[in-house]
Amino acid sequence: MERRKFLSLGAVAAAATILPSAVSATDFRVEKPAAWQAEGSAEAIKALFGDITPIEGKIKMKAPKLAENGGAVPIGMKSKVEVTTVALFQDANPRSAVVVFELGEGGVFDLKTKIKMRKTANVTVVAKGTDGKFYSHVQKVEVSIGGCGG
Amino acid sequence: MKVKAKLKKGVVSVKVLAKSPMAGKEEAAKKKIDVEFITHMTATVNGKTVWEASTGPFLSKNPYMQFVFNPEKVGAKKGDKVEVSWVDNNGKTKKGGKKIK
Repeated sequence: MERRKFLSLGAVAAAATILPSAVSATDFRVEKPAAWQAEGSAEAIKALFGDITPIEGKIKMKAPKLAENGGAVPIGMKSKVEVTTVALFQDANPRSAVVVFELGEGGVFDLKTKIKMRKTANVTVVAKGTDGKFYSHVQKVEVSIGGCGG
Repeated sequence: MKVKAKLKKGVVSVKVLAKSPMAGKEEAAKKKIDVEFITHMTATVNGKTVWEASTGPFLSKNPYMQFVFNPEKVGAKKGDKVEVSWVDNNGKTKKGGKKIK
């Protein structure tokens, strides 16, 4: 166990020296570590964005009403609002934060991914607009067979 | 890594399928495998970053990503290559890419 940990530390150190700068541009795992440990979505959102009052109704989320496979729940997020950052959270797993997208210049808010959900829970998306305001949307996704290694 | 990039109605739609167990600590303990998941992904075109993702183990195994960008705003056009790279918690890196069709 110790040897493996020691080796992986070495690998990270070695990789850090050869990674192209583009790869570590905005790494929210590095910048906001607490957000990734937070259990609930409210806590994770606060750790990531601070105390915000997001505007609702501007983001459309496409998710199955009932997900048959909790190991791969498709989530689509779309909005006409110009944004820089889009974060996805869920209250189905031991920790809430799933992924934080950062859009480049010319980025369009139209994203899709697949997530794991152990059980029926709310999925929340919070986006930071180029106008400095925050936008959010919450949707309940029912899960028939949980998928998080379980 | 599989990447597809298609220009349609003035925007480029990119699909990425990366290979990784995306096993966090609970899953790794249960399956008796190592903790192994992608932590960051980047997509660039002509050296300009068009999309990034800070990722965690609650994405599905072999994560699927889809994003859209306006090529005009980054000086990209059909035939330019969308390059995607990722790094995981163990420092493993992978690169892939596809020309915009």
